[in-house]
Amino acid sequence: MRTFHWDIFVEFYIKILPYIRVTVCYVFFSVLFGFLFGAVLAMMRLGKRKAFKKIAGAYVTVMRCVPSIVMLFLVYYGLPMLMQALFGRRMQNVTAIVYVIITFSLFLGASSSEIMRSAYLSVDKGQREAAVMSGLSEWDAFRRIVFPQAFHAAIPNVGNIVIYMMKEGALAYTIGLQDILGRGYYLNGLKANAYSMETYIALALIYWPCTLILEKIFALVEKRTGDVGCG
Amino acid sequence: MVDIRNVRKGFGKSEVLKDVSIQIEDGQVVVILGPSGSGKTTLLRCVSFLERADAGQFTIGNETVDLKKASKKQILQMRRKMAFVFQNYNLFANKNALENVMEGLVIGKKMAKKEACTKAMEALEWVGLSEKALFYPSQLSGGQQQRVGIARAVALNPEVILIDEQTSALDPELVGETLAVIRKVAEKGITMLVVTHEMAFAQDVADKVVFMDGGVVVEEGSPQQIFTKPKQERTRQFLSRIISLDPMYYI
Repeated sequence: MRTFHWDIFVEFYIKILPYIRVTVCYVFFSVLFGFLFGAVLAMMRLGKRKAFKKIAGAYVTVMRCVPSIVMLFLVYYGLPMLMQALFGRRMQNVTAIVYVIITFSLFLGASSSEIMRSAYLSVDKGQREAAVMSGLSEWDAFRRIVFPQAFHAAIPNVGNIVIYMMKEGALAYTIGLQDILGRGYYLNGLKANAYSMETYIALALIYWPCTLILEKIFALVEKRTGDVGCG
Repeated sequence: MVDIRNVRKGFGKSEVLKDVSIQIEDGQVVVILGPSGSGKTTLLRCVSFLERADAGQFTIGNETVDLKKASKKQILQMRRKMAFVFQNYNLFANKNALENVMEGLVIGKKMAKKEACTKAMEALEWVGLSEKALFYPSQLSGGQQQRVGIARAVALNPEVILIDEQTSALDPELVGETLAVIRKVAEKGITMLVVTHEMAFAQDVADKVVFMDGGVVVEEGSPQQIFTKPKQERTRQFLSRIISLDPMYYI
């Protein structure tokens, strides 16, 4: 077995670490847009209009069936073609991260809509009924009574999605984005791919504490928003 | 005065309410009795717009709305004149007892928080739960939750309180404490429409008893008259069964 080059490992670790900001950036925006989109889908699925229900349901099914890497390429190659066909514009100046955010927003839209839908349904109907019978408007009943309870129920799943997003987002290197993984790839490449072990151990040791921190944050939020003890 | 007129409601093919009308004078307690599936609960849910009736009018005081066509605004207006005590309490799980009572005052009635807090504490004290004010529903017994539900309704100072089978989800031992509180509400002179299975309670508190079966009002009258000399054969049957059989039978 060849020796493990600690110096290279340390060098890579230090050089890769700042690229966390790229990962944080696409995780943040994908989750943000994904959940906004997911909220719309969830409303469509929970609403009364049958056409909306079917459209949203079909979208979720389609998204479930496509691997994220396929979707990423579809967006990366397909979107510029579409834009050119529709508006006659080339998308040359768009950076890779935009495609990543678009792809994962589309994905998270589908999965988060399922989370929101089931969280909403997990709140007993009587909660809304009691609220409107206390003289609250439908909106106030949702905002003050139903939503906080649904939110609490959804936290573990939301946490899973954020962590999933961080890990799955690493696929972004395939379209040339220099996030943590992309940077590791690049550095290893500069040295003729001779230090793969050092690279991947450095990467694992960056992802691991990130996941741990996210887990802790969500556990804390769940505890804080629990029904007992909150103000 | 509260006036429920010609209410009809069907679910799919089955007609649950077939032209039901009930009048309640101010300060009166009207108790609705009847076997399961007779439409009692549906009637309460229709007049509170938790279900859309297929037809009917509902009047509280000088305001009348059509139960089928009422707009969102009318519904909110009517709901602010009434309060509902639910069979399974439905206390807000994310709020403590005090906040449960305050919610409708602060958000619904736009009352200042301090004033609402004082009122809510009074209401809780009135049902004997002031020392549980900061407890969450999950920390309270069924009977206590039900009393918070009653405090929540009374604090709103509504023109009418609708009470739905308030004791059927309770441990028999806890029925007494709840009924005592409802009796207190009645003594306060608040107009009430109560669906119950507690015959003794009906006899004791009701100004008028309405017997429903199969989606119609079979008979109505004073408790004295209904319990001792019912006019209809159906009423007689129902009462004799209840009195002779195991209580589980009619729940």
